[in-house]
Amino acid sequence: MKINALKLPLLAMLVLPFLGCEKDDDNGNGPDNEQELITKVTLTFTGGGQTLPFSAEDKDGDGGKAPVIDNITLKANTDYKLAATFSHTLHTPAEDLTIEVKNESNDHLVCYVATGAMTSPAIQDKDSAGKPLGLESTFKTGAAGAGTLKITLKHKADKSNANACGTGETDVEATFNVTVQ
Amino acid sequence: MEKRWTSLFGMLWLVVGLPAQLLAQDCNLSLRGQVLNADTGLPMPYAGVVIKETQQGVQSDEHGHYQIERICPGEYTIVCSHLGCDHAEQKLTLQRHAVLDIAMKENAVTLENLVVTGSSNKKAGTQTSSELSGVELDAGRGMGLGESLKRLSGVSTLNTGATISKPVIQGLHSNRILIFNNGVRLEGQQWGNEHAPEVDPFTAERITVVKGAASVRYGADALGGIILLEPKPGRQTPGIGGEAHLQGYSNGRGGIASGMLEGRLAKLPLSGRIQGTLKRAGNLQTPNYYLNNTGVSESNFSWSGKFQPEHWVLETFYSRFFTQLGILRDSHIGNLTDLSNAIERGRPLQDGAFSYDLGRPLQKAMHETFRVKLAHALSETDKLSLQLSRQFNRRQEYDAHRRFNPLPETLDDPNIEFEITTWAAELNWDHRLGRNWRGALGTNAQKQINTVDRGALIPNFDNFDWGVYWTERRFKQGSPWEYEFGLRYDLRHLHVAEQGTNNLDEDRDFQNWSASLGVVYALNEDWKLRFNTGSAWRSPLVNELYSSGVHHGSASYEEGNPDLQAERGFNNSLTLEGSRNDHWTMALTSYYNLINHFIYLQPRAEAQLTIRGAFPAFDYNQADARIMGIDWTGDFTLYKTLHLESKASLLSGWNRELDDYLIYMPPLRFEQGLKWGFNEKKQADHPSFVRISALWVLQQKQAPVTDYAPPPAGFVRLDAELFHTLMWGKQRLEVGISVFNLLNTEYWEYLNRFRYFSAEPGRNLSLRLKVPFNFT
Repeated sequence: MKINALKLPLLAMLVLPFLGCEKDDDNGNGPDNEQELITKVTLTFTGGGQTLPFSAEDKDGDGGKAPVIDNITLKANTDYKLAATFSHTLHTPAEDLTIEVKNESNDHLVCYVATGAMTSPAIQDKDSAGKPLGLESTFKTGAAGAGTLKITLKHKADKSNANACGTGETDVEATFNVTVQ
Repeated sequence: MEKRWTSLFGMLWLVVGLPAQLLAQDCNLSLRGQVLNADTGLPMPYAGVVIKETQQGVQSDEHGHYQIERICPGEYTIVCSHLGCDHAEQKLTLQRHAVLDIAMKENAVTLENLVVTGSSNKKAGTQTSSELSGVELDAGRGMGLGESLKRLSGVSTLNTGATISKPVIQGLHSNRILIFNNGVRLEGQQWGNEHAPEVDPFTAERITVVKGAASVRYGADALGGIILLEPKPGRQTPGIGGEAHLQGYSNGRGGIASGMLEGRLAKLPLSGRIQGTLKRAGNLQTPNYYLNNTGVSESNFSWSGKFQPEHWVLETFYSRFFTQLGILRDSHIGNLTDLSNAIERGRPLQDGAFSYDLGRPLQKAMHETFRVKLAHALSETDKLSLQLSRQFNRRQEYDAHRRFNPLPETLDDPNIEFEITTWAAELNWDHRLGRNWRGALGTNAQKQINTVDRGALIPNFDNFDWGVYWTERRFKQGSPWEYEFGLRYDLRHLHVAEQGTNNLDEDRDFQNWSASLGVVYALNEDWKLRFNTGSAWRSPLVNELYSSGVHHGSASYEEGNPDLQAERGFNNSLTLEGSRNDHWTMALTSYYNLINHFIYLQPRAEAQLTIRGAFPAFDYNQADARIMGIDWTGDFTLYKTLHLESKASLLSGWNRELDDYLIYMPPLRFEQGLKWGFNEKKQADHPSFVRISALWVLQQKQAPVTDYAPPPAGFVRLDAELFHTLMWGKQRLEVGISVFNLLNTEYWEYLNRFRYFSAEPGRNLSLRLKVPFNFT
């Protein structure tokens, strides 16, 4: 075999490594660090002739200060409609991320856990596969008293599981104190 | 008559001339010849030439000539040794006066690696080291670097699921270990526990693990040890050759194809090589269920060229590594509630199914290395070399959850992206002082720029490192003592820029000394003692200083501490090594390492509340720590070709300030195997064997109580392996069949961060074929 036919490829190997290096494409472009997370959840209660918004908000994102959670006050023995909305408030204008949850309704599930005088809301809306979604719900308050309402937004929960709220990963979790009077 | 052999490991070329002389029956035969450098062809002075059986030995003169007189006829093993060279051995039947020219292959490290200061006939000098090469390396490297190194005692892995594996040496990992790939210190995003080293083990012919602090030669930071990946030395004879690897795995239905092609010209001292690896595997399976989204896809290639006129070497090297790793879907959790749900289940929600699809969560990592090296032999013993390198690493992490409100063009963008560029230069002078001292003096500088995109886990930063080192080793032919000392000074300047939208704009400086001392004493022909002591340091890294954010895989919130000081380690180790011909070899190492200001994650008393719920919070903290342990490895011939192979690693990690155990220390491991060799006469270089081995891992009782779940129970796992070399016409074929987890045992490893979510993979049958080829 003619070894000298190798000459060119071998010389190429000696020189070629100088070519084709990739570069960091971010140098000097300043920060590009916006990560849109839900930072605020708002629960709007409609009933007894009133519309009452309450929210839980983590103004500085993860870390730093703990989220600020409103105290919910509701009337006793009243039918309420409950609507949940989610938004990103770290920059202005705030961004409504509820549309996102609706658009990917199959991947999301809003779970409610009530204690004390608060009654558990019953989910009214459905995802595109006909399974519960949880952005809209109804409940009727009972006698006056104190309680809590925990809202959890689950991503990729297994909705066919009996304990669907114990599956998937949590995007939002906030526990509100509730006073029924 | 002239006959040419290739030696045991293919590193030695022997040219033997047996001139017809008078037959001599009594003990007045002589053996003479010249010791030559296989690379340059120049004579090698002061090499030791010894007849193993009779212990007759001489040293070659300044022209490399040697002569041994008064030898009886018989079969002998001629051993030739030289500082900076691989030990050479050749069997010889002596019936008359003979001339034997010995061509010695310079130690691969001295020649190929400039950082390592080739002052020894073992890369580690007086330090304790283990090596993986040949069949043992071939059998493991398809599983990645971390998993292949597990074959060595004292080395374990820190895993994140079944696809991400990082080597742990004597309890230390990540930034406390340095990896050198073909002489270049691997620089990537090694700070993360879930960031596997970006190297293709198929580029290496030999992987050496130096245990314990090896900072003096290799740079500050190496408190735990060093991993050296060395490619096959360049081709020495004109022609074309190479090798092809094909591997298949039953678990994950994976396949690997890797090939290497190299050539050398006859007239010009020019050689070159191209190499590439493709890997694809799907979802892995535990004994009871599939692990969804645990596929891997990898494509790597490298090329190198070498021009070697007399007294000079010019070498260029380029490599590119690209991997996509699926991460177990069930490991991606939201908050503490999700984590306790997962731990309670103890397994993924669904049984899963087989698929090659790679979905979110996903990691993509690309690593590029470019290196050029110029070396010049100033004299027989002195060599000056310069190495310049550039590395670029891009790591993209895709969370299970896409970003909210993505623009259509950013729909498939990662959630976070890290890009780091490293430039490095090294200048080294290998020298000899008098007859018995050999050493190296050198300096290196490195500049690094890191940017973080779409996330604020760590800030953007750039740093500059500079170091200077000096090592000397005394080795005298015939003396049982061997000494080595080293001294090093390093400084690091770190500039931190923005973290998210917050501009930190801080500067930090670190500087300090490292020193080491090693002594080797040969008790007799069979036994050797090694003692090493030293002190090394490591500056805190940017994640330890500034990290801030939630790690989804572990549902933890981590916060850095900008006030951290550098770590200072004091390392001591004592090794007893023994071997007797083919009967047995063993090594017992004990080590006692103190690390002051050891940086670790300390759990916070209160959970961190976020809008997603509560996360356990951890702060980077430092305390004085102690790590001590014993590594054992032995190989004993039981009967003819039946061997007992035995390995054990015992380790204890202690936080001396909190009076508590250190987290994530490897539990006690014992491995015993029976190996039966056959076909040894036909294929002396690649003997066939069958092996069955049992790994016994105890539950880690020495763990702090702050973990989310207690350490998993101990387990016993059986593995089996068959290796056979066969000839297909003139073509050699090396075939291997291995069964990992023969009994399909379900078990959990303490050092797997995903043990909360799933068991370890089940039985895996693998087939591999290696075809070396050569055309001259």
